[in-house]
Amino acid sequence: METAALIVVLVIALALFFDFTNGFHDTANAMATPIATGALKPKTAVLLAALLNLVGAFLSTEVAKTVSGGIVNEGDISHALLPSLIFAGLIGAITWNMLTWLLGLPSSSSHALFGGLIGATLVGVGTAGINFGVVLSKVVLPALIAPLTAGIIAFAATKIAYGITRRYDGKPDGRSGFRLGQIFTSSMVALAHGTNDAQKTMGVITLALITVGWQSGAHHEPQLWVIVACAFTIALGTYLGGWRIIRTLGKGLTDVKPAQGFSAESSTAATILASSALGFALSTTQVASGSVIGSGLGRRGSQVRWRTAGRIALGWLLTLPAAGAVGALAALMVVWLGTTGVLIDAILAVVIIVGLYLRSRRNEVTHANAMSDVADSGHAVEHPEVPPPTRRQTRIELVRAMARAERKADEAEKAGRRARKLKKNGGSEAEIKAARKAADRANRKLAEARTAAEEWEALSASRRARARLAEWDVSDEEAERREAQR
Amino acid sequence: MSVEIDWMAFVSVFVAAFVGAVLIVGFYATGLRLLVRAGRIPVVTPAEFTDAITILSEKEIKRAEKHAAKAALKSPLSQAQKQLAFVGACACFALCGLAVLSGVLLIVFNH
Repeated sequence: METAALIVVLVIALALFFDFTNGFHDTANAMATPIATGALKPKTAVLLAALLNLVGAFLSTEVAKTVSGGIVNEGDISHALLPSLIFAGLIGAITWNMLTWLLGLPSSSSHALFGGLIGATLVGVGTAGINFGVVLSKVVLPALIAPLTAGIIAFAATKIAYGITRRYDGKPDGRSGFRLGQIFTSSMVALAHGTNDAQKTMGVITLALITVGWQSGAHHEPQLWVIVACAFTIALGTYLGGWRIIRTLGKGLTDVKPAQGFSAESSTAATILASSALGFALSTTQVASGSVIGSGLGRRGSQVRWRTAGRIALGWLLTLPAAGAVGALAALMVVWLGTTGVLIDAILAVVIIVGLYLRSRRNEVTHANAMSDVADSGHAVEHPEVPPPTRRQTRIELVRAMARAERKADEAEKAGRRARKLKKNGGSEAEIKAARKAADRANRKLAEARTAAEEWEALSASRRARARLAEWDVSDEEAERREAQR
Repeated sequence: MSVEIDWMAFVSVFVAAFVGAVLIVGFYATGLRLLVRAGRIPVVTPAEFTDAITILSEKEIKRAEKHAAKAALKSPLSQAQKQLAFVGACACFALCGLAVLSGVLLIVFNH
């Protein structure tokens, strides 16, 4: 029992460390876009993110219940073995998390945690130890569906934001006002992050407490001290992680416009909060990345850079099995060597953590290791410098081009008439030459205006504008015929 | 081994998130639009010019402020219409805040 208690203490310490790295890694998820658009000063953004993560951790415990009472069949596993397996799973998650962070590879802290736990349990107990139904419905499917959901919502929200504020008279549209709104939406993302990510650690600690009988297995609600410890740890991690972002001053972020950032953050916050309420353990990084890509596509003329998008998706897909493999290796030690295996795992974990920490201290903080995958995912969408016109803009431009062509036709006709009149009335050679020159110039301008009108017509989807253009063409032809007859 | 998946939960998440995000963005954008109609065009400058800001330079901000002031003067609306638009804008921002608050309260009370 004493050994089991010692292992549970180790699990709690390691879980809190994981919580800290989670906050450290994910600050940029909430604060990348407001810093990019200048909605918030980096220092304010980081402080706000830390505070709201703290508050968010107290709002709901549904995700914690999913982790502590669904993924692992704790009733079927020996109570002496389970804490060691959780410990091994945490080692897998932390190792994979820190490795990907150092190498700048896309990853997800949440999936690393689940991967580590599942890998360790599979090695320690076999398939009977895993509740595949819960894993599929609360972890795997949300992981696949949530980024897509967030992307679709962000796409629609961006279209709405741009559509409502668009002006066709060229006057200021006031879209910079979205910058103020971003202060609230990014705060919501930080709050949502607290409601989902802090709870995963609460769930792991609660599971460990249940296995040694320090908490009743009848209810999987985390104890108050667990909630407080996890909330403060993730807030501290978020605050310290944010300093890396401040040092890079947002370098490497994509060109995010305030309206786009506002829509992306609204979508991220809404998706995470709705999922947290139903106990879905999401990857907040993936949801925020999906929103950034979706909102980018919501801007006119945007295209997906499939290569970048594919690289990010591959990183996401790899996280679960890779963390699972590391967790499984750590669990093998426990299965083969028992308590000695746990000690070896603990020593290895300390060596890995200290080693990676020293390595990270040696490296200069750059956008490559300070900015999250969310910032990276912004590069998966390509925006044209000048967006193509909307249908309405096309129609307006077509009408303008037609009016200009009509004016030029009138000018050309007048200049021609004047040249003919001068010739007939015996005007001087210089006068006739000047009038002909003016007629030629007017004809050139007419040709240019017609080309412009034809181009706009090709773009226009309006039947009415096409009909007017056709009408204008007919009247133009008639005028030419009459001129020839004269 | 049969695995039961509650697909309706996914639909609920999608609908709730979609409605929430669309309401927030819609109300806020309408509020901004009405603010512009009321002749109070917001020109919100970046809080800090980090390296990431490529959207607006100092010179562009001054030009935008001047442009906004000029456009506000040329508004075709009467004073009463402008006031009505301003009240409408404030109402939209309040509704936006209410949507956020109700979302958070729903989660807290569900818990």
